[in-house]
Formats: sequence, structure tokens, C-alpha cells
Amino acid sequence: MLDLGLLAFTQPWLLTALLTLPALWLLLRLTPPAPRRVPFAGLFLLRLQAPEETPARTPWWLLLLRLTIAALLILALAGPLLNPAPRLAGSGPLLLVLDDGWAAAPSWQRRIDSARDLLQQAEREGREVVLLRTAPDRDGVRLERASALAVLEALPGWQPRPWPVDRAAASAALAAAELDEASVVWLSDGLATSPETAAAAGGLAEALARLGTVRILTDGPAEHPLLLAPPTPRDDGLEIRVTRAGAEGPPQVTVRAVAAGGEVLARTDLTFGADDLATGALTLPLELRNRIARLELTPLLSIGGTVLFDERWRRRTVGLYGAHHAAASQPLLGDLYFIHRALAPFAEIREGAVPELLDGPLSMIVIADVGTLGPGERVALERWIEGGGVVLRFAGPRLAAAEDDFVPVRLRRGDRQLGGALSWSEPLPLAPFDPRGPFAGLTPSAEARVSRQVLAEPGPELARAVLASLADGTPIVTGRAIGDGWLILVHTTANTAWSSLPLSGLFVDMLRRVMALGPGVGGQIEGAVAADAVLDAFGRLQRPPADLLPIDGADLDAALPSPATPPGLYARLGAGDEAAAAGRLALNLQRAVNALLPLDSATLGRATEPYRAVAEVDLAGWLLLAALLLLIADMLVALAVRGLLPAVRPATVGLVLVLALPGGAWGQQADDEHIRDLTQSTRFGYVRTGIAAVDETSRAGLAGLGAVLEQRTSIETREPVAVDPAADDLALFPLLYWPVPPEHPDLPEAARDRLRDYLRSGGMILFDTLDAGLLLPGQAGGGPGERRLAALLAGIELPPLVPLPADHVLTRSFYLLQDFPGRFAGQPLWVEDAPASVNDGVAGIVIGANDWAGAWAIDEAGRALFPVDPGGEQQRETARRFGVNLAMYALTGNYKTDQVHVPALLERLGQ
Amino acid sequence: MPPDATATRVGAARTAGDRLAARLPALTIEADRVAATVAQGVHGRRRTGMGETFWQFRPYQYGDDAADIDWRQSARARQAFVREQEWEAAASVWLWCDLSRSMDFRSSGAVPVKRDRALILTLALADLLVRGGERVALLGTGERPRAGRAGLNHLTRLLSQADTAAEPVLPAVALPRHARVVLISDFMQPIELLTPRVAALVAGGARGALLQVADPAEETLPYAGRVLFEGMEQEGRELIGNVDVVRARYRQAYFAHREALAQLCTRQGWQFTAHRTDGSAEAGLLSLYLMLAPRAVS
Repeated sequence: MLDLGLLAFTQPWLLTALLTLPALWLLLRLTPPAPRRVPFAGLFLLRLQAPEETPARTPWWLLLLRLTIAALLILALAGPLLNPAPRLAGSGPLLLVLDDGWAAAPSWQRRIDSARDLLQQAEREGREVVLLRTAPDRDGVRLERASALAVLEALPGWQPRPWPVDRAAASAALAAAELDEASVVWLSDGLATSPETAAAAGGLAEALARLGTVRILTDGPAEHPLLLAPPTPRDDGLEIRVTRAGAEGPPQVTVRAVAAGGEVLARTDLTFGADDLATGALTLPLELRNRIARLELTPLLSIGGTVLFDERWRRRTVGLYGAHHAAASQPLLGDLYFIHRALAPFAEIREGAVPELLDGPLSMIVIADVGTLGPGERVALERWIEGGGVVLRFAGPRLAAAEDDFVPVRLRRGDRQLGGALSWSEPLPLAPFDPRGPFAGLTPSAEARVSRQVLAEPGPELARAVLASLADGTPIVTGRAIGDGWLILVHTTANTAWSSLPLSGLFVDMLRRVMALGPGVGGQIEGAVAADAVLDAFGRLQRPPADLLPIDGADLDAALPSPATPPGLYARLGAGDEAAAAGRLALNLQRAVNALLPLDSATLGRATEPYRAVAEVDLAGWLLLAALLLLIADMLVALAVRGLLPAVRPATVGLVLVLALPGGAWGQQADDEHIRDLTQSTRFGYVRTGIAAVDETSRAGLAGLGAVLEQRTSIETREPVAVDPAADDLALFPLLYWPVPPEHPDLPEAARDRLRDYLRSGGMILFDTLDAGLLLPGQAGGGPGERRLAALLAGIELPPLVPLPADHVLTRSFYLLQDFPGRFAGQPLWVEDAPASVNDGVAGIVIGANDWAGAWAIDEAGRALFPVDPGGEQQRETARRFGVNLAMYALTGNYKTDQVHVPALLERLGQ
Repeated sequence: MPPDATATRVGAARTAGDRLAARLPALTIEADRVAATVAQGVHGRRRTGMGETFWQFRPYQYGDDAADIDWRQSARARQAFVREQEWEAAASVWLWCDLSRSMDFRSSGAVPVKRDRALILTLALADLLVRGGERVALLGTGERPRAGRAGLNHLTRLLSQADTAAEPVLPAVALPRHARVVLISDFMQPIELLTPRVAALVAGGARGALLQVADPAEETLPYAGRVLFEGMEQEGRELIGNVDVVRARYRQAYFAHREALAQLCTRQGWQFTAHRTDGSAEAGLLSLYLMLAPRAVS
């Protein structure tokens, strides 16, 4: 190998062929170009000429061209390398030590490039390769022997591992190795996480030095990853701490709190202080805090910059205690029925007596109309409240009759009845809530009226204790803080005996507000747990590998990130999606890593060098390509000299120029061209809303759907087209995707006309109000997008809409589907109730709120752009299937409604 | 060239020739010094002779046949008058169109093949002559001149059957004395070959005209660099290393050849003109017309 610094040749002896170039020059000069053959009648006149021959010489530029081709070929065959890797030291095998723990993630590509250069060099020098990856896998840290070629093939598939490296184990693995005269290269991440690991790194360097010449490559001081510590909860938010590895790191960092759907809830910029620590707070209300799924640094370079939140931060368990259980035949009369129904979507509910309830972790205990609590119960409850618990009591006939002072305010005996047969008054609604109280922001509902209540004894402390009152000022909810917790009394019943409050939505909201006063209690998961989602070293959530074994839930709290327990979210084995989502526990890298110590030459005991910024480039291919292009040019020149090239006529040039001229007089033709282009193949359109983010999502979504269609069906679509309903011809698109964010601009009259025509002529529009991410579970419709859509379409004569019938063609036009989630789930799908006489009974309008484009959207590399909530990849798959069904429906119409398909469908349904 | 293709080509030329001829007035040939060769024709020669049209009265002279006396005219005067008719005669023209391989050439797609142009001119000329009442024959076929459409059709047929590989030089045939001859060719032969043949025709008392059909490339030699010129009639090939060097001398030789042709003609009292294929066929026909038409008409 000939090394010229920037350039090297692997077969330098071939360069001697360059000496033949002058000879070639002479040869080419003497050989005239092939003559052009011309038939000619006047030969006798030509023969009159003196026979002197002055041959046309090969022109000098042609000569130069051919010599260049020859030189390029010679250089290419000599194996040129740009930025060649230096020769390996020693004469034995190449020992490649690679730190592939989490800290290697930020500059992983450079590590791989360096490894590739080294392996190629080892392959050229014919050396064996011994590989030592310091992050353990299932089999621990071990030496692997392989040929350089085999490792080179596997190299592109390597990924950093989302747990720390184990250099002590690496040293141990080396102790048994027999390597002579090895050339040792350590591709290090240059980080230790504690003094012990720093010592282990020094030990590894020493162990390596015993085997041969050592080169240690490390990241520069500015390239280490940052470490985001798990936050500490505060009253008004979270306290954030970010560590960097040295003063050369970035001076500032941005922390974001992200919800499960990918929505950013809060962000803050932190500045590093002198101790390489950046601290700050994310201020956000409890409601939002409970929605945080993860904290992450921006840009997110590695798993060290992300902290997953598990549900123990927000999942609440509510204990219900009621004396009277209604018979199963009359559930509505039960004391606890409405509470149970109201809280079930938001909390885990346990029922039982007070001692049983207090056995497990609880956020809140609801006691419905119990007259007097036993002394033991009472003491236990008081202690529990002082520790932060919330007790919510409801009044009722029994409480009214009893003497019980475990209430926030003193009560009068008996109750007050409004609107009874002997009373002039009427049942009263609630007064507006105190903006500083726990119910601030809720709107009293006119339907929620109270007809009977227990009354508080007036006193100086009563005003402070009132949390809500009736329209006439009578306290209806009172509360008292005891220690860290609360005792709250609702002065009416939890069933409909005294009040219609439990029938209103306000009841649910108020219960949730009270529940939010209590602490989140997650606790352990009993039984076996398995990873539900794992983080990779770059901090992205992935599906867990299939070969990951479940572990005992009790061990999870003590587990450190390792091959058996990778960082991620763990859920009870076999739990359904809902339950799993509610009870997941997070295992973060930060359990094992809480400091960053850069390794330098002093720690390692030897000199380190940085990674090379540029990788080795094999120039042979490029040189051959250049030679080939020049050869083609030479051929064209030779043809031209002999007159064999068809002459380029000026007319042709003119035509080309004319075709290339844009705009102006050619507008009409260009328009035709555009339409022809659009009709060449199936293309879906999306309506341009003018909001860049929405439009881009629509485009990416339809592109993603197109990719899915191409893969799975015979529909081949080309790039989706942005459509302006006011200006473009809609008739060219079989399906229009129309996202309607609340900011959607108004429709001009022309757009309405075109829309009407489009629908009448059999077009299909999928309106997506994007509301599903904003609505609460159980809330069906009525979001801002839907209201905006209604405003947009006002004045367009719309056919009647129905919720999608279970036997609709959309449920079986390609896949058999029964729900249609997008990026979010749970909102119903509405379709036009088309009579069979119009457009073959094919619905022209499909309205939903699930943000399908968000679920379909992919980037250029085919990766999904947005997370899907709550169902993960399974839900995305369903969303894609819905897209396929919709496209099939748009293109084949009522084909699948044909009775011909019924037997096949029945068979597939297993009936 | 296969006969079918020749026939098609001649047919096309005939059509083109007809179209061309229709634009010129009927061509008549002056009739001096050809009396012995002419048969009874159909148009007057503006002199007394055999004919059907009245020409003039003249006083009776001794020796006139008494039957020639016009008694009605004589009765108006004291003198006897003889009625004379205008001499009506048709000229015979022998045409020769060179169909040899060297005529099968054009230097670019923008100009016609020389043979096509020559055929068009030949047929257009024949058409004009026939319409003028003359008789036409193809030189070298040995057939007698014919008149009328039938004669023209016969000529067309002969042309389409003619052998394209024919001798490029003039056929040496005996013609009646004072015959009219029109020769259309590229005359790309050494002048020494042409001279004896023309001389033989002149010796027979024939008068005529030569039209040289030339491709522009033959005049200008617009090639460059190294060119292999291939002869078209088994003359071999000639490799010119650098055409730029020989161009000037070639052109000199070419025009010297044309000058020699012209001189050959004028020496014999014949007429000569050159026609380039990048010019229009009408121009060629007009120059032929001018060469053949009586001065009075032009």
C-alpha cells in the first residue's frame, strides 16, 4: 500500500502502467480518425489532384480525452483511497474494543465509520479480528473472533445498547485471552458514570496495553451526552436537573414535557452553572402534570436525555365505603352506584370497609351516607388524612340522623327540604364556584338541583370551609384541611334521593377535582411483568424485542437497566391494553446512571485521540465512472467526426425551448398538462387549510397511505396533491382528505359550489375534525373542530348523516374492521346515509375526529411521524387498515355490498 | 434499381413533369433546315408549303399546276392567282436522359436526387413538345418519333423500362439528318469521352442542346476532414486525407470541365446550360425552353 497522506493506493505497482501513457500518445497521434464515407460522382475530377496526402490529425483535445480515460482506468485499478486509514500496528490480530452503551448514541455513526475503516484495513492486511463490545448482551461481555469480512457485513446493523457499559467485565474477558502482538483499538465513549466505573476504565486500558499497541479513540469533550435526572415533584410543578460531562458541553438546554400523544405540555430553557449542573422548574398545573408521559431534552441525543413517567405519578385508587347496598335488581337506588359510574373511567376503585381499604395505597376514600363511624375506623382515617389522604363524605338520611363530628363543619341535626309539599321554595341549583377553590372553572349546571340537604351550623369558621354553595348561599360542599390531607363533605346524597346532582356531568367533574387533591399511588404490580415498550439508546420508544422474558413485578423496583431489563415501560403480563396503559411502571436509565465523569488521558493512563472527522473513501468506483462518461463522450465525438450523428435541427431546438418556456401564453396548455398528469394515475387529494403543520401532516399522511396501498393492494397511487377547493377541479380526485382544525379559514362561495358539484357527481370526502385528541374519554363529539366544520358547511345541502352502521361497506371493503381509530381513538365515524338510488348508495361524506393523517403520516425514510395514542402500533395498523378500506370504498363503490360476497364474508367471520 | 422502383420513380416524375409543363406555353421548335426530316405536321411554319390553312395568293407563274389556280380570286382581277397554303410540319426531337448510377445521388435531404430532377425535366420537356405538336423519341431506343399523348405515354413507358445500369455515355446511333437532340445528364465523365459522341451526332447534321444537372455538393465540395469518396460506377474509391486542402483545386477542375462542355457545344452550334438541383425544376425547364424555342416566341 502506497500512502501519500490524503491519498493512498492499495495496488501501487499498477501505477507503473502510467509510464505507457507517452507511448499511447504517439500511437494515438499516428492513427488518424476513421474517415467519413461519401458516395461521389466526380471521382475523376478528384483524381486529377496531385496525390499528396496531408492527413487530418487527431485533434489534440481528442488525444487528451483518450489519454485521460487511460489514466483514469489505471488510477482506478490501482485502488485509490481518499483519507486512508493508517496501517495497523503490530502483526497479530486486530482487537477492536467498542463501547456500545447508551453514551455512544450521540455520535454512533462516527464510531461505526471508524470501525469500518479499521476493519477494511484489517481485511486488506489479512488480519484476524477479535471483537469486544463492552455493553453486555444476554450472554454478558465476551470476546468474539471473526473474519474482518464477516464483521464488516454485520456492522451496519449494530446499534448502541440502552444500558451502561461494563468495563470491569470487559477486563475480565480479556484476562483469559491469548493474543500476541495484537493491534488494539478502543473506540471509547469517553465517559464514566461513577468513580468506580472510571477506575474500571483505567483497568481496561491497562489490560489492553498488555496485549499490544493500544490506540484509544474518545469523543471530544463537547460531544458527550447530557443526563436528565428524574424530576422531583413540587407543589407547582416539577424540579428539573440536567448534568453535562464538562464545561465544553452546550451552555444551554431545553427540557420538554410531552404527553402520551406527543403533545408538548411545557418547556423550559435551562442554563448550566459552574458545576455543570442546570436546574430549573417546569411549572404546570396538576391536571397537566398528570398527563406527562415523558420528559426529554431537545435535541434528544440519547436515552440519557429522556425520563419516562409511569402511571404511579397520576393513577389514583379510590376506596368506596357505603353502608347500604341496594339489591342488584335496583342498582340505581344504591348509595355508591353513581360514584362508581363517575369515577370508574379515571381511577381504580376498591370497595370495602375502612380497614380493608386502608390496607392498600389509596388516593381518596368516598364514604356515602354512613351515620357514625366506629372509633377504630375514625382514628385510622384521621391518621391517613394527616398523611395526605382525602376523605369525601356524602350526606344522607343516616348522617342527618346521627351524631357524627367527623365532618368539616358542625352540622345541625336533621335536614332541610326544598320544594316539598309543605314548602314554598323550589329545588335550588348551585351558585357559581369560587374561582380560588378546588372547583374553579367549572360551570354550575342548571339541571343539577338540590332538593334536600343537611345544614351546617353557622359559625366563624364556616365561611372558610365552604367550597361550594347553593344559589341561595347555603353551603353544599364544605372541606377542611387536616395535616397534608382533606376531609370534605357534600351536604346531600350521592344518589338521586335528595338531589339531581349525581345525574349531571358536573358531578363527574367535581369528583375528579376532589380526587386530584389526593396523592397518586401507583405501587407495585403484582405478579409477572413484561416490557410493554422499551427505549433504544437514542431515547425512542420501540416495541419490545420478542425474546425478552417477563420478570417478577416485585423485582422491578430494584432492577437496573440491563439486557434482561432494558429501560422502558413495564406492564402486568397478560393485562388488556386499557389496564396495561393504566398500570405501567417505568424503568429509566437514570436508575443506573446519575453522574457523568469524562475519561481523559490521566484517568486512562495513556494518550487518547479523537475520532476522525472524515471516513475513508474508496475512489475506484468514482474514477471508473468518470472514465466511462469520458468514453461515452469520446464515442459521440468519433461518431460526430464521421458524420453519423443525426444533425440537431434548429427546429428541434426551438421546440425544446418552447416546451421549456413556462407560463404566459402556455398557461392553458400547462393547465391541460397538469390535468393530464393528474389523471395518469390514481391520486388522492387533501384540502389545503393554509396551516402549514396541518397541510404537511395531510400530505405525509396520504403519502403513507399510498405506500400502504401499494404494498397491500393493487391500488397504485402517486404523490398526493394539495387541493384548493375554490380554484382546483375536484373531479379529478376519487377521495379528498379534509382536515378541519378550529383555525380552518372560511370557504369562499366558489368553493361551496364546487364542493356541491363534487359530492353530487359521486366524489368522496373524509372530513377529519382532529378533535379526538382534545376530547375527554366518553365525550362524543362537540369538539372545536366539529363546530368549525358545521360552520364551514352551513349553507351546503348535506345529506343526512348516521353513525357508521355495523354492516356498512366500509367495515369490509378490504379488511374486516369494526373500529376506526386514527392517531387517537374513541370518536365515532359518521357517514352519509345514502339512499341506494343516489350514486349507487355510496356515501360521499365520511366525518370523523380521529386524526387519521397523523396515524398514516410517514417521513421520507418510511418511519411514522407521530406517536399513536393509546393503542400504539396496533392502533396504527388498524388506522392503516381503515385507510385501505376507505380507498377501496372510494374506488370500488358498492362492490362489496353485492350479495355475491356474503358467503365468503360469512365464512371469514366464522359463522 | 429494381424495375418496379424505377417505374414508380418515372411515374412520379411524369406527374411532376406534367405539372411543370402545364405552366409553360406550348413549345414550338423553329423549323429551319430540318425540312428533309419532317413528316407532315400540324402547325404552320409561317412559310408556304404543304398544309391546309390559307397562307397567301400569288400571281400565276409558268409551271404552276392549273389546278392550283384560285378561280374566284382570279375572277376579281385580270390576272390569275395561285392559292398557296401555309406549310404545316412537325419537328422530331430525340431526348436523352442519363439514368446511370452516378445520377442516383444527392448530397443532403434538402435537394432531390439528380436522376429524379433529370426525369422530371425530360418528361416536362416531352410534354411541352407534344402539346406543341412535335414528335418525340428517346435517343438510343431506335424507335421512330411519335406524336400526341400516345407518344408521350410511350416515351414514359420506355423510360421506366430503361436499364439504370446503362452506359453513362451517349449512345452512338445514327439519326436522320438535321434531327433535334436534347441531352440531359450530369456529364460527369472526362470530356474526352464525350467529345467523339457529340461529334458523331453533329456529323449527322443534328442540332441540339445539353443540360447538365449538378448537385450543389459537386460544385462546392462541402466536406471536411478525412473523407473516403466512393465512386458510383465501379471507379473505385479515393481517400482524401484532408478535404480542405483539395477543395480549391477540385472546384477549379470542376468548372474547367463545365467550361469544356460549353465550348464543345458552341463549337458545334449547340447550346449548353447547367442546372443545380437546389434550384427549382421550373428554372431548368425554362432554360431548356429558351434553348429550343424560336426567337420570336421568346
